[in-house]
Amino acid sequence: MTELLIRNACVFDPLNDIRGDVMDIAISDGRIVESVKNNAEVIDAQGFLTLPGGIDSHSHVCGTKVNFGRYMSPEDMRAGRTARRGKMHVTSGYYVPTTYGNSYRYSTMGYTTVLEGAMAPLEARHTHEEFNATPHQDMLANTLFDGNWSIMEAVHAQDVKRAAAIVAWTLSAVRGFAIKLTNPGGTEAWGWGEDLTGIRDPVPNFNVTPAEIITTMISANELLHLPHSVHLHCNNLGKPGNYATTLETFGLVPDLNKNRQTLYATHVQFHAYGGSTWRDICSKADEITKSVNAKPQIVMDMGQIMFGRTMTMTADGPMEFNLYCLHHNKWSNHDVELETGSGIIPVLYSKKSLVNCVMWAIGLELALLTKNPYQCLLATDNPNGAPFVKYPEIIGLLMSKRYRDEECSTLNNGFEQRTSICSLDREMDWNEIAIITRAGQARALGIAAQGKGHLAPGAEADLAIYPIRCHDVDPATEYRNVVEGFQKTRFTIKRGRVVARDGDVIVEGANATFWVNPTVPDEHNVANDPDFVKKFEEYYTVRMSNYPVQDVYLPRGRCIKTEADL
Amino acid sequence: MLIKDVVCPFCGCLCDDLDVEVENGRIIRVDNACTLGSKTMVGDDRLKAPIRRDGKGWIETTYDAAIEEAAQILLEADRPLLYGWSSTHGEAQSIGVHLAELIGGVVDNTSTVCHGPSILAIQEVGHPGCTLGQVKNRADLIIYWGCNPIDAHPRHMSRYTTYATGFFVKDAHRDRRVIVVDTRRNESADVATEFVQVEPGGDYAVLSALRAIVRGRGDVVPPSVSGVSREQLVRIAEMCKNAKFGAIFFGLGLTMTAGKNKNVRNAIELTDELNRHTKFIISPMRGHWNVYGTNEVFTWITGYPYAVDFSRGIAFYNPGETTAVDILRRGECDACLVVASDPAAHFPKPCVEHLARIPVVQIDPHPNATTHVCQLQIPGSVAGIDAAGTAYRMDGVPIRMKAIIETGVPNDTEILQRLYNRVREAKGE
Amino acid sequence: MKVMMNTGRTIPQGESVERKHSPEYESAASVCFIHPVDMMVLGIEDGAHIQLSGSDGIVVLTAAASETVEQGSVFVPLGPFSNHIVSGETHCTGMPDFKSTMVEIIPTEDPVPSVAELMESLGGVRYAH
Repeated sequence: MTELLIRNACVFDPLNDIRGDVMDIAISDGRIVESVKNNAEVIDAQGFLTLPGGIDSHSHVCGTKVNFGRYMSPEDMRAGRTARRGKMHVTSGYYVPTTYGNSYRYSTMGYTTVLEGAMAPLEARHTHEEFNATPHQDMLANTLFDGNWSIMEAVHAQDVKRAAAIVAWTLSAVRGFAIKLTNPGGTEAWGWGEDLTGIRDPVPNFNVTPAEIITTMISANELLHLPHSVHLHCNNLGKPGNYATTLETFGLVPDLNKNRQTLYATHVQFHAYGGSTWRDICSKADEITKSVNAKPQIVMDMGQIMFGRTMTMTADGPMEFNLYCLHHNKWSNHDVELETGSGIIPVLYSKKSLVNCVMWAIGLELALLTKNPYQCLLATDNPNGAPFVKYPEIIGLLMSKRYRDEECSTLNNGFEQRTSICSLDREMDWNEIAIITRAGQARALGIAAQGKGHLAPGAEADLAIYPIRCHDVDPATEYRNVVEGFQKTRFTIKRGRVVARDGDVIVEGANATFWVNPTVPDEHNVANDPDFVKKFEEYYTVRMSNYPVQDVYLPRGRCIKTEADL
Repeated sequence: MLIKDVVCPFCGCLCDDLDVEVENGRIIRVDNACTLGSKTMVGDDRLKAPIRRDGKGWIETTYDAAIEEAAQILLEADRPLLYGWSSTHGEAQSIGVHLAELIGGVVDNTSTVCHGPSILAIQEVGHPGCTLGQVKNRADLIIYWGCNPIDAHPRHMSRYTTYATGFFVKDAHRDRRVIVVDTRRNESADVATEFVQVEPGGDYAVLSALRAIVRGRGDVVPPSVSGVSREQLVRIAEMCKNAKFGAIFFGLGLTMTAGKNKNVRNAIELTDELNRHTKFIISPMRGHWNVYGTNEVFTWITGYPYAVDFSRGIAFYNPGETTAVDILRRGECDACLVVASDPAAHFPKPCVEHLARIPVVQIDPHPNATTHVCQLQIPGSVAGIDAAGTAYRMDGVPIRMKAIIETGVPNDTEILQRLYNRVREAKGE
Repeated sequence: MKVMMNTGRTIPQGESVERKHSPEYESAASVCFIHPVDMMVLGIEDGAHIQLSGSDGIVVLTAAASETVEQGSVFVPLGPFSNHIVSGETHCTGMPDFKSTMVEIIPTEDPVPSVAELMESLGGVRYAH
């Protein structure tokens, strides 16, 4: 029984309404407990800010398209490289780090759980292999269904139960965690080089609309009682005027779940543009947040961009091709049969670009204008908006108007007319920051029940102790200290073990992969449906028996079973 | 006993629909495979035990002694090269990379003499591709450029292209057109709708001409480009633009001829250009069943897909400098671990001469050309036959190889793990 | 006669590639496909031995007529025979000129070596399986 006692921790644990109490935390065998014996190892947290381990609810770190991004970018690999040292393997890469690079850097920042933003079921094995090589974070996989042929057939037949049955089979086969829709319907259109222009546009050859796909999948998700809601990357990402699509999409969402949101809308910054061209693009964060403030059934994340180089990579193939036409940078594309697509292209967000400045402002506006911090979480759609190592700077910006003003003064003249960021006075406090970086994610992903994102007895002992004395620091003025403090924990503890100290990862990891297994009655098991099997064998290029991810890929899998209501 | 849906460990097609009959621990029949796959599955010509060189002859030895000797060779080397990897499963590849990281060696895989130039091109201009099922279900135009699938990937056409029916292509024979581009009228040209014969070394110019025509600048193209008439070029470009979904598959005809990575770059840029008119993809015909796997594994660990040098402590990549052929030709490495490949057969002579001069350890079940120039060979089991593990198909789709018979032979992962542990122990870690 | 040597995979070479000491492999990998007219100029028949010399070496192969090969070039399957005369120069790409080696061909009475003999000539020690 390994026991650990953390003394003098200044704790913010929003899910248990603890706001800055200086207290002791007792840990035994990887979980928080009421107390430990006298011979427990003691760590003195010295009054430092102590939060549950960070949870990233949308990050592209593992899988086919991420690895594409790596190997097509040797110039980026040279940028972030470190040598093998102690327990740490070699790392490479700045905006698309290698798996160990990701894991060490997240750990240094106090993050202990990460949701991979997109996993194509056919290539799930690859994602799981990389999960095993990201050893210091528990991992979960958003599973792509946006261009899924059998789902679209079920949607067309208006058969929600069928859709739910397909989701259930697929999620358990590929050890996925949640339903991800990226440009729903659009990724199938991209199979022919086309895209959709709105949520009522029919998908060529399948004759269903994104609106129908979204509403059917939301119902299916709730029938299966999945811990997370549908996770949506809206149609029309990145297009001036797309805020209308986003609002229309939000209007589709009923309130079906009393424990959490019914829709998680991701990287909404990219979906909050007014105007109609790059010339008159402006922020519609006010309209978006007005909608979300009135809809407790919606949670979003910021999708904040930060200036500098980065890599865009999403399942939204057509959008990435448009970026290629705009920037002429090296472009990769990878459509996945019967399922989804993807595209990858490097970008540069520049302070000289009016458009980029507006984008930067929008992300911050979304967070500052959303009343309930549980409804707008911190994320950059890593690496699309910025590499996750920039999260501390975003925290600084949200906590300090002065910092925002200083940044604004260095930006392109004229952007101020397009957004309201300069007039926003709100400064987030420590509690709100704790919500938007862990408590909110735990609730939105439905993993608080798994012991994530909070520190009550029974919870997993994932903690981050940051070298910040929050009662002595004024984040509004001392934002540089805040940023620095969040960049490197004094201690990162995972399942009761100190894994990182002052920037060094000191043990080999043994992460867990969380996945869902929704059990459906036999008559709804699509594996017993000859029609489903026949189509599978005819159109896929992999045999159905070889498709599922075998046990061996999840050495420490944590299965969440649910009972479907079919 | 019949085992269905077996995955074939030969070429990059990674067919996973083999039906194999097993009796008394031996494979006696294989259905659905091509001749290359069948011969591989039933082949039974392996070393029974590790062998080591003893003066002018060879003697058998034990796995323990062999691993110990291998560890000593690697520990004593200043600049070890760890080469091969493409014919073993990913779990073993992963240990190989970590072993090179541990001893500060160079780790390289067979891409280096195959699609390495394609990787260089992708690193310049990206890779607009897709999984093979997209081609099967949608493509009405297939172009095989500088490759000969009938000989090198025999079931490619029937599983994925020319003869395959798909959701949107119900009658392959009527609905698909195939263009073969090569310097000679190979067997694949015989089944093509159209054959384009290019002078050796002329692919780059032909690709440039096609790009010009696609961009509406056919006026700059002379009457003949590398032996191809302008008339044929215009016809090909029209076929491409009018296709609903075009797919270019290319091979060593582009990567090995003059221009190498620049040939591939030009082909990718032609594909980019065509995407402004219709849907087009391009994809390399990877040779080994798991060479793409080595690229994937190398990349997520080190950041680079091949030719990785750890001598500086960090991962360092510089093809031409850190690639195996160059390191051997320059006589730069002083020990070599060869895994799941046969460089003595597939590298130019000067490289083989150097291998003969330095201590070489080989982990491979079959006696091959490299056997004669190594000191020590350790046979492991074969992924897909008596070892299970992960493989990546030529389009990136990961499939698990099955172990369909039990031989008790340790697999590559076990052998490499023991070697890794021994080296670590010796280094005091 | 000076010709360009192209190398690549063939079915017979691939079928036996895991058994490099078998007669199947040794004959599959040591064949040199030549256009019939070029063979006429050389004065040889199908099955004759020919000596190819490149910048880096000399090897004896067996000639086989093929009309799929262009005049002025030959095709040899990839393997230890063709590599015996391919240069190690990669022009900083890591990739040798496997498909563009200039070679000189003359008829010869010399025997075609075995894979083991080739390796021995480079400093190896033969392993007899």
